[in-house]
Amino acid sequence: MRRRSRGGNTVLEAALFIPILVTLLVSVEQLGKLTYTYYTIKKALYSAARYIGTQQGVNFCDAADPSILAGLNFALTGSTDGSANPLVTGLTPDMLLVSIERYSAADQTLSACDCSATGCDTSAGGTAPDFIVVSIPEGYAMRPIIPFLTLEPILLKPQVKVPFTGT
Amino acid sequence: MAVQLLVILVPVLFGFMGFALDLGRLYLIRGELNQAANSMALSAARQLIGTSAATDFATNAARLTVDNASQNANKYNFGSLRIGDSSGFYTSDVPDPSYFATAAEAMAAEPGSTADGTTARYVQANIVADAPLTFWALLAAGASRKTTVAARAVAGISAPLCTACGIENFAIQALDQTDLFNFGLVAGTRYTFGYVCNGNPQPGGLAGAAQRLPYLLLDRYNAGDMFDESQQLFRIGGGGLPGSTVSTQSCFRAGNSEVVWASAVPQTCASLAVPQSVVNLLCGVSSRFTNDTPTTCTGVSDVANLSASFTADADLTDIDDYTTYTGSIRRVITIPIVDTLSAANAMTILGFRQFLLDPTTGNTSNVPSDTNGRFEALYIGSPVPVKQGRFDGGCQAQSGPGKVVLFQ
Repeated sequence: MRRRSRGGNTVLEAALFIPILVTLLVSVEQLGKLTYTYYTIKKALYSAARYIGTQQGVNFCDAADPSILAGLNFALTGSTDGSANPLVTGLTPDMLLVSIERYSAADQTLSACDCSATGCDTSAGGTAPDFIVVSIPEGYAMRPIIPFLTLEPILLKPQVKVPFTGT
Repeated sequence: MAVQLLVILVPVLFGFMGFALDLGRLYLIRGELNQAANSMALSAARQLIGTSAATDFATNAARLTVDNASQNANKYNFGSLRIGDSSGFYTSDVPDPSYFATAAEAMAAEPGSTADGTTARYVQANIVADAPLTFWALLAAGASRKTTVAARAVAGISAPLCTACGIENFAIQALDQTDLFNFGLVAGTRYTFGYVCNGNPQPGGLAGAAQRLPYLLLDRYNAGDMFDESQQLFRIGGGGLPGSTVSTQSCFRAGNSEVVWASAVPQTCASLAVPQSVVNLLCGVSSRFTNDTPTTCTGVSDVANLSASFTADADLTDIDDYTTYTGSIRRVITIPIVDTLSAANAMTILGFRQFLLDPTTGNTSNVPSDTNGRFEALYIGSPVPVKQGRFDGGCQAQSGPGKVVLFQ
Protein backbone atom coordinates (compact mmCIF):
# COMPACT_ATOMS: atom_id res chain seq x y z
CA MET A 1 0.00 0.00 0.00
CA ARG A 2 2.71 2.43 1.03
CA ARG A 3 5.00 1.37 -1.79
CA ARG A 4 2.29 1.85 -4.35
CA SER A 5 1.48 5.35 -3.07
CA ARG A 6 5.17 6.46 -3.28
CA GLY A 7 5.36 5.08 -6.79
CA GLY A 8 2.42 7.16 -7.87
CA ASN A 9 4.01 10.21 -6.29
CA THR A 10 7.19 9.75 -8.30
CA VAL A 11 5.27 9.39 -11.52
CA LEU A 12 3.35 12.53 -10.70
CA GLU A 13 6.56 14.41 -9.92
CA ALA A 14 8.11 13.21 -13.12
CA ALA A 15 5.03 14.22 -15.08
CA LEU A 16 5.34 17.72 -13.61
CA PHE A 17 9.06 18.11 -14.12
CA ILE A 18 9.68 16.48 -17.46
CA PRO A 19 7.93 19.18 -19.51
CA ILE A 20 9.89 21.91 -17.71
CA LEU A 21 13.12 20.02 -18.14
CA VAL A 22 12.46 19.37 -21.81
CA THR A 23 11.59 23.00 -22.38
CA LEU A 24 14.85 24.08 -20.80
CA LEU A 25 16.93 21.56 -22.71
CA VAL A 26 15.31 22.45 -26.00
CA SER A 27 15.74 26.17 -25.40
CA VAL A 28 19.43 25.67 -24.70
CA GLU A 29 19.69 23.68 -27.89
CA GLN A 30 17.81 26.37 -29.80
CA LEU A 31 20.02 29.14 -28.42
CA GLY A 32 23.03 27.11 -29.43
CA LYS A 33 21.58 26.73 -32.89
CA LEU A 34 21.02 30.47 -33.05
CA THR A 35 24.69 31.11 -32.25
CA TYR A 36 25.74 28.45 -34.71
CA THR A 37 23.59 29.90 -37.50
CA TYR A 38 24.83 33.42 -36.80
CA TYR A 39 28.43 32.32 -37.07
CA THR A 40 27.76 30.22 -40.17
CA ILE A 41 26.26 33.25 -41.89
CA LYS A 42 29.06 35.48 -40.67
CA LYS A 43 31.65 33.13 -42.10
CA ALA A 44 29.74 32.92 -45.36
CA LEU A 45 29.70 36.73 -45.57
CA TYR A 46 33.44 36.81 -44.91
CA SER A 47 34.03 34.25 -47.67
CA ALA A 48 31.90 36.31 -50.03
CA ALA A 49 33.71 39.51 -49.12
CA ARG A 50 37.15 37.98 -49.63
CA TYR A 51 36.11 36.31 -52.87
CA ILE A 52 34.67 39.50 -54.32
CA GLY A 53 37.46 41.58 -52.80
CA THR A 54 40.12 39.79 -54.82
CA GLN A 55 38.32 39.72 -58.16
CA GLN A 56 39.21 41.84 -61.14
CA GLY A 57 36.89 43.96 -63.17
CA VAL A 58 34.10 43.91 -60.61
CA ASN A 59 31.41 46.48 -61.31
CA PHE A 60 29.94 47.23 -57.91
CA CYS A 61 27.40 49.57 -59.44
CA ASP A 62 25.75 46.74 -61.34
CA ALA A 63 23.53 44.62 -59.13
CA ALA A 64 23.76 41.78 -61.65
CA ASP A 65 27.53 41.84 -61.94
CA PRO A 66 28.63 38.24 -62.63
CA SER A 67 31.65 38.39 -60.30
CA ILE A 68 29.54 39.56 -57.37
CA LEU A 69 26.84 36.97 -58.04
CA ALA A 70 29.46 34.25 -58.35
CA GLY A 71 31.02 35.33 -55.05
CA LEU A 72 27.72 35.36 -53.20
CA ASN A 73 26.67 32.03 -54.65
CA PHE A 74 30.02 30.52 -53.82
CA ALA A 75 29.81 31.67 -50.22
CA LEU A 76 26.23 30.51 -49.73
CA THR A 77 26.32 27.21 -51.58
CA GLY A 78 29.91 26.33 -52.40
CA SER A 79 29.33 26.59 -56.14
CA THR A 80 29.71 29.80 -58.13
CA ASP A 81 26.49 29.16 -60.07
CA GLY A 82 24.48 28.45 -56.93
CA SER A 83 23.50 24.95 -58.05
CA ALA A 84 24.70 23.16 -54.91
CA ASN A 85 22.69 22.88 -51.71
CA PRO A 86 22.51 26.07 -49.68
CA LEU A 87 24.59 26.26 -46.51
CA VAL A 88 21.82 28.00 -44.58
CA THR A 89 18.25 27.21 -45.54
CA GLY A 90 16.44 30.22 -46.90
CA LEU A 91 19.48 32.44 -47.26
CA THR A 92 19.67 33.57 -50.88
CA PRO A 93 22.12 35.86 -52.70
CA ASP A 94 19.47 38.55 -53.21
CA MET A 95 19.24 39.01 -49.42
CA LEU A 96 22.88 39.99 -49.28
CA LEU A 97 24.08 43.51 -49.96
CA VAL A 98 27.59 44.32 -51.13
CA SER A 99 28.33 47.98 -50.44
CA ILE A 100 31.51 49.87 -51.14
CA GLU A 101 33.44 52.45 -49.20
CA ARG A 102 36.24 54.81 -50.00
CA TYR A 103 38.89 56.31 -47.81
CA SER A 104 39.05 60.05 -47.79
CA ALA A 105 42.58 61.21 -47.04
CA ALA A 106 41.31 64.71 -46.26
CA ASP A 107 39.19 63.83 -43.22
CA GLN A 108 40.73 60.37 -42.64
CA THR A 109 37.41 58.53 -42.60
CA LEU A 110 35.58 56.00 -44.69
CA SER A 111 32.34 56.85 -46.35
CA ALA A 112 30.03 55.16 -48.81
CA CYS A 113 31.39 55.42 -52.34
CA ASP A 114 28.81 56.67 -54.80
CA CYS A 115 28.20 55.19 -58.23
CA SER A 116 29.49 57.98 -60.42
CA ALA A 117 32.40 58.59 -62.74
CA THR A 118 34.25 60.36 -59.93
CA GLY A 119 33.17 57.69 -57.45
CA CYS A 120 33.46 53.94 -57.76
CA ASP A 121 31.57 53.28 -61.00
CA THR A 122 34.44 51.60 -62.81
CA SER A 123 32.36 51.17 -65.95
CA ALA A 124 32.00 54.96 -66.22
CA GLY A 125 35.64 55.71 -65.54
CA GLY A 126 35.66 55.67 -61.74
CA THR A 127 38.31 53.93 -59.69
CA ALA A 128 37.98 50.90 -57.47
CA PRO A 129 36.73 51.27 -53.88
CA ASP A 130 39.00 50.80 -50.86
CA PHE A 131 36.73 48.65 -48.68
CA ILE A 132 33.76 46.40 -49.28
CA VAL A 133 31.03 45.62 -46.78
CA VAL A 134 28.83 42.55 -47.09
CA SER A 135 25.68 42.64 -44.98
CA ILE A 136 22.10 41.39 -44.77
CA PRO A 137 20.03 44.58 -44.63
CA GLU A 138 16.72 42.86 -43.89
CA GLY A 139 18.27 40.25 -41.65
CA TYR A 140 17.97 36.48 -41.72
CA ALA A 141 14.88 35.52 -39.74
CA MET A 142 15.27 32.57 -37.42
CA ARG A 143 12.45 31.44 -35.12
CA PRO A 144 13.56 29.41 -32.11
CA ILE A 145 11.24 26.42 -31.73
CA ILE A 146 10.64 25.90 -27.99
CA PRO A 147 7.72 23.83 -26.64
CA PHE A 148 4.87 25.80 -25.01
CA LEU A 149 6.35 29.11 -26.20
CA THR A 150 5.56 31.10 -29.32
CA LEU A 151 8.46 33.35 -30.13
CA GLU A 152 8.86 36.09 -32.70
CA PRO A 153 11.54 35.34 -35.30
CA ILE A 154 14.94 36.71 -34.36
CA LEU A 155 16.64 38.72 -37.12
CA LEU A 156 20.31 37.89 -37.58
CA LYS A 157 22.22 40.75 -39.19
CA PRO A 158 25.91 39.97 -39.35
CA GLN A 159 28.15 42.10 -41.53
CA VAL A 160 31.76 42.01 -42.60
CA LYS A 161 34.13 44.68 -43.82
CA VAL A 162 37.33 43.80 -45.66
CA PRO A 163 39.75 45.85 -47.77
CA PHE A 164 39.27 45.60 -51.54
CA THR A 165 42.43 44.20 -53.06
CA GLY A 166 41.29 43.55 -56.60
CA THR A 167 41.64 45.84 -59.59
CA MET B 1 14.64 9.99 -2.61
CA ALA B 2 13.53 11.56 -5.89
CA VAL B 3 13.28 14.99 -4.31
CA GLN B 4 16.82 14.82 -2.92
CA LEU B 5 18.12 13.68 -6.29
CA LEU B 6 16.29 16.51 -7.99
CA VAL B 7 17.65 19.09 -5.55
CA ILE B 8 21.19 17.95 -6.34
CA LEU B 9 20.74 17.40 -10.06
CA VAL B 10 18.83 20.51 -11.07
CA PRO B 11 21.59 23.02 -10.21
CA VAL B 12 24.17 20.75 -11.85
CA LEU B 13 22.03 20.41 -14.94
CA PHE B 14 21.39 24.14 -15.11
CA GLY B 15 25.06 24.80 -14.59
CA PHE B 16 26.02 22.66 -17.57
CA MET B 17 23.36 24.31 -19.71
CA GLY B 18 24.84 27.67 -18.80
CA PHE B 19 28.33 26.46 -19.61
CA ALA B 20 27.16 25.32 -23.00
CA LEU B 21 25.57 28.66 -23.82
CA ASP B 22 28.50 30.75 -22.64
CA LEU B 23 31.08 28.55 -24.29
CA GLY B 24 29.20 28.69 -27.57
CA ARG B 25 29.19 32.44 -27.40
CA LEU B 26 32.91 32.55 -26.59
CA TYR B 27 33.62 30.55 -29.74
CA LEU B 28 31.46 32.91 -31.75
CA ILE B 29 33.26 35.94 -30.33
CA ARG B 30 36.62 34.40 -31.05
CA GLY B 31 35.54 33.83 -34.65
CA GLU B 32 34.27 37.36 -35.02
CA LEU B 33 37.47 38.81 -33.57
CA ASN B 34 39.57 36.62 -35.86
CA GLN B 35 37.77 37.97 -38.90
CA ALA B 36 38.19 41.51 -37.64
CA ALA B 37 41.91 40.90 -37.08
CA ASN B 38 42.24 39.44 -40.59
CA SER B 39 40.63 42.52 -42.02
CA MET B 40 42.92 44.79 -40.01
CA ALA B 41 46.05 42.95 -41.06
CA LEU B 42 45.09 42.90 -44.76
CA SER B 43 44.25 46.57 -44.67
CA ALA B 44 47.53 47.48 -42.97
CA ALA B 45 49.72 45.29 -45.16
CA ARG B 46 48.72 47.21 -48.28
CA GLN B 47 50.43 50.27 -46.85
CA LEU B 48 53.79 48.61 -46.15
CA ILE B 49 55.71 50.10 -49.05
CA GLY B 50 59.16 50.50 -47.54
CA THR B 51 59.06 54.17 -46.64
CA SER B 52 59.69 55.66 -43.20
CA ALA B 53 56.08 56.76 -42.89
CA ALA B 54 54.66 53.41 -44.06
CA THR B 55 53.94 52.02 -40.59
CA ASP B 56 51.99 55.14 -39.62
CA PHE B 57 49.84 54.80 -42.72
CA ALA B 58 49.44 51.09 -42.06
CA THR B 59 48.32 51.63 -38.47
CA ASN B 60 45.79 54.17 -39.65
CA ALA B 61 44.52 51.79 -42.34
CA ALA B 62 44.16 48.97 -39.81
CA ARG B 63 42.05 51.14 -37.52
CA LEU B 64 39.71 52.05 -40.36
CA THR B 65 38.27 48.54 -40.35
CA VAL B 66 37.07 48.89 -36.75
CA ASP B 67 36.36 52.62 -36.80
CA ASN B 68 32.61 52.96 -36.66
CA ALA B 69 32.37 56.38 -38.31
CA SER B 70 30.62 54.88 -41.33
CA GLN B 71 28.49 52.55 -39.13
CA ASN B 72 29.89 49.54 -40.92
CA ALA B 73 32.84 48.62 -38.75
CA ASN B 74 33.58 45.02 -37.84
CA LYS B 75 32.10 44.29 -34.42
CA TYR B 76 31.74 41.31 -32.06
CA ASN B 77 29.29 39.56 -29.72
CA PHE B 78 26.58 39.08 -32.39
CA GLY B 79 27.76 42.35 -33.91
CA SER B 80 26.67 44.35 -30.88
CA LEU B 81 29.94 45.45 -29.31
CA ARG B 82 32.40 47.79 -30.99
CA ILE B 83 36.01 46.73 -31.24
CA GLY B 84 38.39 49.17 -29.60
CA ASP B 85 35.73 50.66 -27.35
CA SER B 86 37.27 51.62 -24.02
CA SER B 87 34.06 52.84 -22.40
CA GLY B 88 31.25 50.73 -20.95
CA PHE B 89 31.39 47.45 -19.08
CA TYR B 90 32.85 45.35 -21.89
CA THR B 91 35.96 47.04 -23.18
CA SER B 92 38.24 45.97 -25.98
CA ASP B 93 41.73 47.01 -26.88
CA VAL B 94 43.20 47.35 -30.35
CA PRO B 95 46.89 48.04 -29.86
CA ASP B 96 48.86 49.43 -32.78
CA PRO B 97 49.74 46.54 -35.10
CA SER B 98 53.29 45.20 -34.87
CA TYR B 99 55.61 45.24 -37.86
CA PHE B 100 58.21 42.69 -38.84
CA ALA B 101 60.71 42.13 -41.63
CA THR B 102 60.06 38.39 -42.01
CA ALA B 103 56.91 36.30 -42.00
CA ALA B 104 58.36 33.78 -39.53
CA GLU B 105 59.02 36.53 -37.03
CA ALA B 106 55.56 38.00 -37.48
CA MET B 107 53.91 34.64 -36.82
CA ALA B 108 56.11 33.65 -33.89
CA ALA B 109 56.85 36.87 -32.08
CA GLU B 110 54.85 38.53 -29.36
CA PRO B 111 53.42 41.96 -30.17
CA GLY B 112 56.09 44.61 -30.48
CA SER B 113 57.52 45.85 -33.75
CA THR B 114 61.02 44.79 -34.65
CA ALA B 115 61.05 46.56 -38.00
CA ASP B 116 60.62 50.20 -38.94
CA GLY B 117 58.73 51.50 -41.94
CA THR B 118 61.61 51.01 -44.35
CA THR B 119 62.07 47.31 -43.56
CA ALA B 120 58.57 46.23 -42.47
CA ARG B 121 57.00 43.70 -44.84
CA TYR B 122 54.62 41.85 -42.52
CA VAL B 123 52.08 43.06 -40.03
CA GLN B 124 50.66 41.34 -36.98
CA ALA B 125 47.28 42.65 -35.85
CA ASN B 126 46.06 41.90 -32.34
CA ILE B 127 42.70 42.40 -30.67
CA VAL B 128 41.94 41.79 -27.01
CA ALA B 129 38.27 42.07 -26.11
CA ASP B 130 36.01 41.37 -23.14
CA ALA B 131 33.43 38.66 -23.75
CA PRO B 132 30.28 38.53 -21.61
CA LEU B 133 29.72 35.54 -19.33
CA THR B 134 26.06 35.31 -18.44
CA PHE B 135 25.81 31.94 -16.72
CA TRP B 136 29.32 31.46 -15.48
CA ALA B 137 28.73 34.56 -13.42
CA LEU B 138 26.72 32.35 -11.05
CA LEU B 139 29.94 30.55 -10.14
CA ALA B 140 32.85 32.03 -8.25
CA ALA B 141 35.23 31.64 -11.22
CA GLY B 142 33.04 33.78 -13.43
CA ALA B 143 32.13 36.37 -10.85
CA SER B 144 33.55 39.22 -12.92
CA ARG B 145 30.87 38.42 -15.54
CA LYS B 146 33.36 38.72 -18.36
CA THR B 147 36.52 37.18 -19.69
CA THR B 148 39.03 38.32 -22.29
CA VAL B 149 39.26 36.77 -25.72
CA ALA B 150 42.22 37.54 -27.97
CA ALA B 151 42.66 37.24 -31.71
CA ARG B 152 45.64 37.67 -33.97
CA ALA B 153 46.23 37.83 -37.70
CA VAL B 154 49.35 38.15 -39.81
CA ALA B 155 49.40 39.56 -43.32
CA GLY B 156 52.15 40.73 -45.59
CA ILE B 157 53.80 40.55 -48.94
CA SER B 158 53.60 37.31 -50.92
CA ALA B 159 56.28 35.55 -52.89
CA PRO B 160 57.19 37.28 -56.18
CA LEU B 161 54.28 37.17 -58.61
CA CYS B 162 54.38 35.61 -62.05
CA THR B 163 51.31 37.50 -63.21
CA ALA B 164 50.92 41.08 -62.09
CA CYS B 165 47.62 42.89 -62.57
CA GLY B 166 46.64 46.52 -62.55
CA ILE B 167 50.17 47.61 -63.39
CA GLU B 168 51.44 50.03 -66.03
CA ASN B 169 52.32 49.05 -69.59
CA PHE B 170 55.66 50.83 -70.05
CA ALA B 171 58.21 48.23 -71.07
CA ILE B 172 61.90 48.82 -70.60
CA GLN B 173 64.78 46.60 -71.58
CA ALA B 174 66.82 44.80 -68.93
CA LEU B 175 70.22 46.47 -68.72
CA ASP B 176 71.73 43.20 -67.52
CA GLN B 177 69.72 40.00 -67.89
CA THR B 178 72.01 38.05 -65.59
CA ASP B 179 71.15 40.34 -62.68
CA LEU B 180 68.05 38.58 -61.39
CA PHE B 181 67.40 41.14 -58.69
CA ASN B 182 67.66 44.52 -60.41
CA PHE B 183 68.22 43.74 -64.11
CA GLY B 184 71.26 46.04 -64.01
CA LEU B 185 69.28 48.97 -62.61
CA VAL B 186 70.61 50.67 -59.50
CA ALA B 187 68.16 51.32 -56.66
CA GLY B 188 67.95 54.95 -55.69
CA THR B 189 69.04 56.13 -59.13
CA ARG B 190 66.92 58.61 -60.99
CA TYR B 191 66.41 57.62 -64.63
CA THR B 192 64.91 59.44 -67.55
CA PHE B 193 62.27 57.41 -69.35
CA GLY B 194 62.23 58.32 -73.04
CA TYR B 195 60.10 56.84 -75.81
CA VAL B 196 62.02 54.73 -78.28
CA CYS B 197 62.96 56.57 -81.48
CA ASN B 198 64.92 55.45 -84.50
CA GLY B 199 68.13 56.90 -85.89
CA ASN B 200 70.34 59.62 -84.54
CA PRO B 201 70.84 61.71 -82.59
CA GLN B 202 69.34 59.80 -79.68
CA PRO B 203 67.84 62.22 -77.14
CA GLY B 204 69.62 62.65 -73.81
CA GLY B 205 68.37 62.50 -70.27
CA LEU B 206 66.50 65.22 -68.45
CA ALA B 207 68.22 67.47 -65.92
CA GLY B 208 69.20 65.47 -62.85
CA ALA B 209 68.65 62.09 -64.49
CA ALA B 210 71.43 61.55 -66.97
CA GLN B 211 70.71 57.99 -68.04
CA ARG B 212 67.88 57.55 -70.51
CA LEU B 213 65.91 54.31 -70.41
CA PRO B 214 64.11 53.85 -73.72
CA TYR B 215 60.59 52.48 -73.29
CA LEU B 216 57.74 51.17 -75.43
CA LEU B 217 54.05 50.86 -74.65
CA LEU B 218 52.87 47.26 -74.59
CA ASP B 219 49.58 46.56 -76.30
CA ARG B 220 46.50 46.31 -74.11
CA TYR B 221 44.05 47.93 -76.52
CA ASN B 222 40.54 46.72 -75.78
CA ALA B 223 38.38 47.01 -78.87
CA GLY B 224 35.22 46.13 -76.95
CA ASP B 225 35.67 48.76 -74.26
CA MET B 226 33.21 51.62 -73.90
CA PHE B 227 36.17 54.01 -73.78
CA ASP B 228 37.92 54.94 -77.00
CA GLU B 229 41.62 54.37 -77.50
CA SER B 230 42.75 57.77 -76.23
CA GLN B 231 40.69 57.32 -73.08
CA GLN B 232 41.99 53.81 -72.52
CA LEU B 233 45.55 55.10 -72.70
CA PHE B 234 44.74 57.95 -70.32
CA ARG B 235 43.22 55.54 -67.80
CA ILE B 236 46.21 53.20 -67.93
CA GLY B 237 48.50 56.17 -67.36
CA GLY B 238 46.32 57.43 -64.55
CA GLY B 239 45.80 54.26 -62.58
CA GLY B 240 47.40 51.26 -64.24
CA LEU B 241 45.56 48.67 -66.31
CA PRO B 242 41.86 48.90 -65.44
CA GLY B 243 40.31 45.81 -63.90
CA SER B 244 38.85 43.33 -66.32
CA THR B 245 37.24 39.96 -66.02
CA VAL B 246 39.54 38.94 -68.88
CA SER B 247 42.86 38.29 -67.19
CA THR B 248 45.06 38.95 -70.20
CA GLN B 249 43.50 42.39 -70.55
CA SER B 250 44.43 43.64 -67.10
CA CYS B 251 47.56 41.63 -66.34
CA PHE B 252 51.07 40.93 -67.58
CA ARG B 253 52.68 37.56 -67.10
CA ALA B 254 56.40 36.90 -66.87
CA GLY B 255 57.56 34.72 -69.74
CA ASN B 256 54.79 35.86 -72.06
CA SER B 257 55.44 37.55 -75.39
CA GLU B 258 54.08 41.02 -75.88
CA VAL B 259 53.94 43.42 -78.80
CA VAL B 260 54.00 47.18 -78.99
CA TRP B 261 50.73 49.16 -78.84
CA ALA B 262 49.70 49.41 -82.50
CA SER B 263 49.29 53.17 -82.64
CA ALA B 264 52.46 53.84 -80.66
CA VAL B 265 55.05 52.85 -83.25
CA PRO B 266 58.31 54.77 -82.67
CA GLN B 267 59.19 57.60 -85.03
CA THR B 268 62.55 58.94 -86.09
CA CYS B 269 64.48 60.79 -83.44
CA ALA B 270 64.98 63.71 -85.77
CA SER B 271 61.24 64.33 -86.03
CA LEU B 272 61.21 65.41 -82.36
CA ALA B 273 57.77 63.94 -81.83
CA VAL B 274 56.25 60.90 -80.20
CA PRO B 275 53.05 59.15 -81.28
CA GLN B 276 49.87 60.81 -80.00
CA SER B 277 49.10 57.62 -78.06
CA VAL B 278 52.17 58.13 -75.91
CA VAL B 279 51.11 61.72 -75.18
CA ASN B 280 47.66 60.51 -74.18
CA LEU B 281 49.14 58.01 -71.79
CA LEU B 282 51.54 60.57 -70.31
CA CYS B 283 48.53 62.84 -69.78
CA GLY B 284 47.13 60.10 -67.59
CA VAL B 285 50.43 59.93 -65.74
CA SER B 286 50.21 63.67 -65.06
CA SER B 287 46.89 63.07 -63.27
CA ARG B 288 48.96 61.42 -60.56
CA PHE B 289 50.59 64.78 -59.88
CA THR B 290 47.90 67.35 -60.51
CA ASN B 291 44.14 67.60 -60.75
CA ASP B 292 44.50 70.18 -63.54
CA THR B 293 44.58 68.78 -67.04
CA PRO B 294 47.57 69.94 -69.09
CA THR B 295 46.67 71.82 -72.27
CA THR B 296 48.41 69.24 -74.47
CA CYS B 297 45.85 66.66 -73.42
CA THR B 298 42.95 67.79 -75.58
CA GLY B 299 43.65 64.76 -77.76
CA VAL B 300 41.95 62.62 -75.12
CA SER B 301 38.19 62.49 -75.60
CA ASP B 302 36.21 64.05 -72.77
CA VAL B 303 39.42 64.51 -70.79
CA ALA B 304 37.95 66.78 -68.11
CA ASN B 305 35.46 64.18 -66.88
CA LEU B 306 37.92 61.35 -67.20
CA SER B 307 40.62 63.08 -65.17
CA ALA B 308 38.17 63.94 -62.39
CA SER B 309 38.23 60.37 -61.11
CA PHE B 310 42.00 60.36 -60.66
CA THR B 311 43.22 62.21 -57.63
CA ALA B 312 46.69 63.67 -57.33
CA ASP B 313 49.18 62.13 -54.95
CA ALA B 314 49.46 63.72 -51.52
CA ASP B 315 53.24 64.02 -51.76
CA LEU B 316 54.46 65.90 -54.82
CA THR B 317 58.00 66.64 -53.71
CA ASP B 318 61.00 65.86 -55.85
CA ILE B 319 62.36 62.75 -54.15
CA ASP B 320 65.86 61.29 -54.33
CA ASP B 321 65.55 59.12 -51.22
CA TYR B 322 62.54 56.82 -51.61
CA THR B 323 62.18 56.26 -47.85
CA THR B 324 61.15 59.89 -47.39
CA TYR B 325 58.11 59.48 -49.65
CA THR B 326 54.89 60.14 -47.71
CA GLY B 327 52.29 60.00 -50.48
CA SER B 328 49.32 57.81 -51.28
CA ILE B 329 51.25 55.36 -53.53
CA ARG B 330 49.81 57.05 -56.64
CA ARG B 331 53.30 57.91 -57.84
CA VAL B 332 54.58 54.33 -57.82
CA ILE B 333 54.51 52.54 -61.16
CA THR B 334 55.08 48.81 -61.67
CA ILE B 335 56.32 48.02 -65.14
CA PRO B 336 57.36 44.94 -67.11
CA ILE B 337 61.06 44.49 -67.87
CA VAL B 338 61.59 42.80 -71.26
CA ASP B 339 64.55 41.05 -72.85
CA THR B 340 64.88 43.20 -75.96
CA LEU B 341 62.86 46.28 -76.85
CA SER B 342 61.52 45.94 -80.34
CA ALA B 343 58.70 47.63 -82.18
CA ALA B 344 58.80 44.98 -84.90
CA ASN B 345 59.14 41.72 -82.98
CA ALA B 346 57.60 40.19 -79.89
CA MET B 347 59.21 40.99 -76.57
CA THR B 348 59.44 38.52 -73.70
CA ILE B 349 58.67 39.77 -70.20
CA LEU B 350 61.40 38.86 -67.72
CA GLY B 351 59.86 40.33 -64.61
CA PHE B 352 58.39 43.42 -63.00
CA ARG B 353 60.05 46.30 -61.20
CA GLN B 354 58.89 49.50 -59.63
CA PHE B 355 59.71 53.16 -60.05
CA LEU B 356 58.66 56.27 -58.19
CA LEU B 357 57.62 59.00 -60.62
CA ASP B 358 59.37 62.29 -60.01
CA PRO B 359 58.19 65.63 -61.33
CA THR B 360 60.33 66.85 -64.20
CA THR B 361 62.91 69.28 -62.84
CA GLY B 362 61.49 72.80 -62.81
CA ASN B 363 57.90 71.54 -62.99
CA THR B 364 55.33 70.25 -60.55
CA SER B 365 54.52 67.19 -62.62
CA ASN B 366 55.78 65.24 -65.58
CA VAL B 367 55.49 67.13 -68.88
CA PRO B 368 53.23 65.23 -71.29
CA SER B 369 54.23 67.56 -74.11
CA ASP B 370 57.90 66.55 -73.96
CA THR B 371 58.94 66.00 -77.56
CA ASN B 372 60.62 62.73 -76.70
CA GLY B 373 58.00 61.43 -74.29
CA ARG B 374 60.43 61.81 -71.44
CA PHE B 375 59.74 61.77 -67.70
CA GLU B 376 61.81 61.14 -64.60
CA ALA B 377 61.48 58.17 -62.29
CA LEU B 378 63.44 56.84 -59.35
CA TYR B 379 64.20 53.11 -59.39
CA ILE B 380 63.02 51.58 -56.10
CA GLY B 381 63.23 47.82 -56.72
CA SER B 382 60.00 46.05 -55.80
CA PRO B 383 58.83 47.03 -52.30
CA VAL B 384 55.22 47.94 -53.09
CA PRO B 385 52.51 45.23 -53.16
CA VAL B 386 50.73 45.23 -56.51
CA LYS B 387 46.94 45.31 -56.56
CA GLN B 388 46.44 41.72 -57.62
CA GLY B 389 48.33 38.91 -59.27
CA ARG B 390 48.95 35.18 -59.47
CA PHE B 391 51.78 32.67 -59.14
CA ASP B 392 50.76 30.49 -62.08
CA GLY B 393 53.00 29.09 -64.75
CA GLY B 394 56.10 28.39 -62.67
CA CYS B 395 57.99 31.50 -63.76
CA GLN B 396 60.41 30.97 -60.85
CA ALA B 397 60.96 34.64 -60.20
CA GLN B 398 63.88 35.18 -57.84
CA SER B 399 62.61 38.56 -56.79
CA GLY B 400 59.96 41.03 -57.76
CA PRO B 401 56.82 42.58 -56.43
CA GLY B 402 54.29 40.47 -54.54
CA LYS B 403 50.73 41.05 -53.44
CA VAL B 404 49.14 41.23 -50.02
CA VAL B 405 48.27 37.84 -48.56
CA LEU B 406 47.07 36.56 -45.22
CA PHE B 407 49.57 34.33 -43.42
CA GLN B 408 47.73 33.45 -40.21
